[in-house]
Amino acid sequence: MAEEEGESLIHIALGGEELFAIGPFVVTNSMIGALLASLLLLAAAWYVTRQSTLIPSRLQGLLELPVEWVAGIVAGSTSRWRGYVALVIGFFLMILVANWLGLLPGVGTIGLRHGEELVPFVRPAAADLNFTLGLAIITFVVFVWWGIRINGPGGYLKELIGEPRYMAPLMFPIHLISELSRLVSLSMRLFGNVFAGEVLIATMLALTTATVFVLPLAFFVPSIFLGLELLFGAVQAIVFALLTMTYITMAIAEHDGGHEPEHDPRDDHGEPDVHPASSPA
Amino acid sequence: MDSNLAAGLAMIGAIGPGIGLGIGFSKAMEALGRNPEASGAIFVPYILGLALTEAIGIYCLVVALILIFAG
Repeated sequence: MAEEEGESLIHIALGGEELFAIGPFVVTNSMIGALLASLLLLAAAWYVTRQSTLIPSRLQGLLELPVEWVAGIVAGSTSRWRGYVALVIGFFLMILVANWLGLLPGVGTIGLRHGEELVPFVRPAAADLNFTLGLAIITFVVFVWWGIRINGPGGYLKELIGEPRYMAPLMFPIHLISELSRLVSLSMRLFGNVFAGEVLIATMLALTTATVFVLPLAFFVPSIFLGLELLFGAVQAIVFALLTMTYITMAIAEHDGGHEPEHDPRDDHGEPDVHPASSPA
Repeated sequence: MDSNLAAGLAMIGAIGPGIGLGIGFSKAMEALGRNPEASGAIFVPYILGLALTEAIGIYCLVVALILIFAG
């Protein structure tokens, strides 16, 4: 009895659920979440660029703060940072907004009832593997493209084959799998964190709901975990953006034999001490 | 019931990343204690290292969640 009640309280779908279909194109609630996040970012970008001043107003300063911070980190990676800084900042802002949007009240709780289960209108975008896998595929294509662009197709193949040429039959599949495993690890990390956060909050709510008439635990305990999710959402956004930057940096730096990037007088602002290329992957 | 048991067993794999995260965090704090000015240089490799370590635990979690909700 108690177990059945618990199961109906914690209804969690592993993927996005279908809201409606336009012909063969199925619109899921996680797509609505991603769309809302993009619209919010577009509105913020439009507002900032429309009336930006050299001495920023308070709101403009607040909106420029994350962009400048990530740009400062990316500027310390390689001398070609201008080629991919927009992508890294875009990933950071998109994942940050999508994660924080998922914590708003009403997301995941307001929806239509289909028989027993509730289908919410909006689902946090990163709680659907399709969204995170899409972002990871963009990262994959971009860092392979940078590797081919810097080293040439032959040079890129040479990197895959490895240094002692006679080890190629063994090392080539290993390098290939390690490249492909980045795709899996990037998408699974983001999806696992956000989805686990959803499950965690739902579980805490279900565990404390029974105490609501004795102690108001159901109000306090989930809010602690909501605060924790606020932190994790930001950390995962930083991690995804920085890993994208690191993979591109490694694809570029392999050309120089792993040495430190040459100094470019243009990239003076930011943190020149940061060398993420030396971190493992 | 079997898939719930399997999910519990899958989470045993979270022990390793837990130990690893503790080692990484303690070393980062040690480095910060020795050289507080290096906090900017430590931050990015530290976050990346934690993320890569944590990913292993997240794989276990994803396997467990799939077993519970889709198994």
